[in-house]
Parts: sequence; C-alpha cells; structure tokens
Amino acid sequence: MVVRADLETAHRRSLEHVARPGARFVGARRLQIARVAIDSYLAADPGPPWARPYGDTLLDGAHRLARHAGTLTEQWYQELGVHPLDWVEVVGVVVASLPPVAFARAIGNPLPNLPEPIAGEPTGHQAAELAPATLNWVPVAAPADRTASVVQALSALPGEWDNLWQLAEAQYMSDVAMADPLWNRGTLTRAQMELVAGRLSKLRDCLF
Amino acid sequence: MLSWSSNENGTPADLAAITTGESDGGQPHGVELLAFAAAIVGSDDDALAAARDRLTAVAGEAFMIDAAAVAANFEMMTRVADGTGAKLPPPLETMVERP
Repeated sequence: MVVRADLETAHRRSLEHVARPGARFVGARRLQIARVAIDSYLAADPGPPWARPYGDTLLDGAHRLARHAGTLTEQWYQELGVHPLDWVEVVGVVVASLPPVAFARAIGNPLPNLPEPIAGEPTGHQAAELAPATLNWVPVAAPADRTASVVQALSALPGEWDNLWQLAEAQYMSDVAMADPLWNRGTLTRAQMELVAGRLSKLRDCLF
Repeated sequence: MLSWSSNENGTPADLAAITTGESDGGQPHGVELLAFAAAIVGSDDDALAAARDRLTAVAGEAFMIDAAAVAANFEMMTRVADGTGAKLPPPLETMVERP
C-alpha cells in the first residue's frame, strides 16, 4: 500500500514530537499520556466516561479525551484542578499520538510504535503573552479570540500548536487551501472530504 | 464547509446524511465514504476491513488512503475542540451595529 510521503513524514514527526520534552512535561511523561490515549482509543470496551481507571488526574483526563471527548464539559475541566497549561499539553499530546494510530488502523496497516523518550527537562516554552479566551476554556496566546477557537486552542504552547498544524496540512489541507472550495489532491473532492469530516464529527458527538 | 464546497463543486450535498448516515450525501461514492467513516469510529475491525475494501473497490486505493487521512484529521480536531471547550463565535448579527 502506497502512502503519501508527506503523510508518512507528518505522522513520524508527530510521534517524535510526543517523545521530546514539552513545555511542561518530560518525554517519558508525555509518552505515558500518549500510551493511555492510544490504549483508550483502541479499547473494545473503554468503560463509562466517568471512570478514572488510572488514579492519576492527567492520565484519567487523557483517557476521557481520547475515548469520550464528546462528554467533556467546562465544569469537568474546572474540577480537574490542574494547571491550565498542563491540560493544554495533555490535549496536544493526545492529538499528536492518535492520528498516526487512527490512520494506520483505518487503512489496515500495522499500528505504529511509540518512540523511546528523548531525555531533557521541560522546555517551558509558551506563548510570550497568554490571555483568557471567551471561545475556549483554556488560556491562549494573546490577543485572544481574534481567530477561530480551534485555531487558537493550543496556541498557548507553540510546540503543540505547530505539530497540530503540520498534521492538518498533510491529513486534510493547508490553511491557504481551506479557502478554496474546489481544492483537492486529485482523489477526494473537497465535498467528499467534508462528508467524511462531518460524519465522523457527528459520530464523535462533537458539536463544534 | 460541506454545503459550501458541494455547491461550488456542482454536487449539492444532502446534509441530512451527516446525521443519519443514510443515502450518499449527494456525493459520488458517498455511501462508501459514510460507511468508512462510521467504521473508523467503531471498534469492530472486521467491519472496518469490509468498509475499507468496499471503498477501495469503487474508488481505488489512493482515494481510500486520503479518506482515511481526513478521518484521522477529524479524530484529532474533534478532540482539540472538545478538549479545549472550543465554541463557535457569536452570530454575526450580534456583532454588527444595527441602524
């Protein structure tokens, strides 16, 4: 099976990104979060949304995000009681680790392995100025609410934001192409792409 | 996005197919695409293999691979939206000054 080189590269980079120290966590902790997310995503019986199978606030949060994302509420987020940037990094790691697995499973390829952790302390790299957002629960890079909520969602942590958009460009399209309703790769039309996107989002109970 | 792109493409979409999963959504290979998306969300690997094979049979392997990539992207974006509480902006009419 021939997979586009840019897509293979984007997925490999994303898993390498998970293994590197992030702004808040070392690589080993990020890989622990990724492992939980992948296991939860693939579980035949993931249990109810309110279960906390790991006894670790961030791992339980990663589990719920990976498998029961449509059940998350702002109250649930507030009751997590974690540092907002810790949660942004958890979201970043979950969405960096699931797409390569989801894609491989979808096309019938072997699932990718997570890399070994890369040593180093958390980088502390965050946006120069943070601001509370009205369009998201989490703080974002200032100024807030000047772009779509999904665009600014991970902007507090540039490393997670960069990885998200390098994945989106290979899996879906670039932000420039998004403005063209006729853009395509010579396979699916834009409308066919949106049909897949819409149906999957509906089945995941994503109301955005 | 679906309504806009399908109208521009000259193949107006049946938006109800997003909710029901029935019909072809007004798009070529729509039945197979909707079934593939649903199987990716499901946990039945045999059902996923069958949906993959049906899509490949009617549209080809490269088409199936790109459909899987789009699905992977929205396995990502749904979690970005839900995990950060992403909201749609207020309706445009509330942001303009009425005469």
